[in-house]
Amino acid sequence: MTAPRPYALLAEITYRCPLHCPYCSNPMQGRNNDELNTDEWKRVIHEAAALGVLQIGFSGGEPLARRDLPDLVRAAREADLYTNLITSGIGLDDERVHPLRDAGLDSIQLSFQSDQSGLSDEIAGARAHQHKLDAAAKIRAAGIPLSLNFVIHRRNIDRLPQMIDLAETLGAERVELANVQFYGWAFLNRAVLLPTREQVTRAREVATAAKARLAGKIDIFYVLPDYYETRPKPCLNGWGQRYLTINPIGDVLPCPTASSAIPDLRFENVRARALDWIWRESESFNRFRGTEWMPEPCRSCPQREIDFGGCRCQAALLTGNAANTDPVCELSPNRAIVDAVLGDLNSSSKHAREWTYRVNPKGVPVSSLARSPVAAGADRGPGA
Amino acid sequence: MPMPKIADAAQPRLAKGVRLQNDSATGKSVLLFPEGIVELNDTAHEILARCDGRTLIEIVQTLAEEYDADLAALAADVRETLADLQQRKLIELT
Repeated sequence: MTAPRPYALLAEITYRCPLHCPYCSNPMQGRNNDELNTDEWKRVIHEAAALGVLQIGFSGGEPLARRDLPDLVRAAREADLYTNLITSGIGLDDERVHPLRDAGLDSIQLSFQSDQSGLSDEIAGARAHQHKLDAAAKIRAAGIPLSLNFVIHRRNIDRLPQMIDLAETLGAERVELANVQFYGWAFLNRAVLLPTREQVTRAREVATAAKARLAGKIDIFYVLPDYYETRPKPCLNGWGQRYLTINPIGDVLPCPTASSAIPDLRFENVRARALDWIWRESESFNRFRGTEWMPEPCRSCPQREIDFGGCRCQAALLTGNAANTDPVCELSPNRAIVDAVLGDLNSSSKHAREWTYRVNPKGVPVSSLARSPVAAGADRGPGA
Repeated sequence: MPMPKIADAAQPRLAKGVRLQNDSATGKSVLLFPEGIVELNDTAHEILARCDGRTLIEIVQTLAEEYDADLAALAADVRETLADLQQRKLIELT
């Protein structure tokens, strides 16, 4: 089928990160020993703009781990892209924030693990919360629009009202309250991260009320806990329709989690192929494009152009076949897999508490990590 | 929730972090903001292109003259468009 034009590029410029969040969606076996260099990224950014991309998100890992970030932001602005930095804020001192502003950075999305330092640092596996508060102040002082991103899970979901208060206090323009989606490290830690039905119901009420109360002041974006839904999320607005991701070594992915969730898909690399060709012609971008690939019940479903059959990665992770209907859908023959997970959690009061912290990909020397004031605590157990 | 009526003297401007840009792939105007893109229809584009410090009533008057349109109907359209954008934090009123 003919390829549409893409709108947004997620540039995962490194998998290195000073935090160890157990919900990270990075691949557990990610390679990071041959990152694209500055010139390669600049070329790719211009190729993306030529393809129709309007937005770029610099992400990772922790994108500040790369010292050339301002150069990449400048290249993106020169290509007329809207530039967004998605960061933990660790290491974002004046020395880093001013060059980013001067390069034309449009917006910063600062991640928080919760509203309190104790819980936040436990989740991050590092002493990070205070640095984030400091980073928020520096972002505001530099005049860069600020969004706060929270990943919501069983350990922090009850603090949603306080998280929203924190966003107000810090003067954020936007808040993303994203219920954890289960890929990468989050899939491994699902038993510890999945909230209860009761928690989810309350959180939805809190988010809805806050959205109404803060309309016009703070834009609140609430990402649904899809296991508790009856229909799947319209993942990516359809495979190969609007988004593309490029990982640290230059593989081009229809979505950031595809490389780990769908092992039989082969991805093209920007070192070997033009981005335009990869987007239009490659097998990986065409495999689930449109509706031709769909099995029943999707194929004849009136919702097929609304939810696109849900998420290919979730189908692969839960059913072993990426071409299946997302098992979150109540019409999926595999919905029982999701129900079993929910049943196990909600029928018992004894819940798993031991999670596995994310570690950096092998082959990355520790000395190459972002110089950060944080003592990494990967080996520290939860509940400290 | 009923939206508050925007005053005649209000000065609408693009909200912080929101950019108005031409999309060279379609020739249309778009609003760009963190993780979001809104394609504007012609009316919204004409209104936003004039959100440069002018008051609501000045914007309405300019448009009414340029398009030889009925002032009252136009004012209602402009108010509705701006109120919607304001609720989504894409414009700010000062």
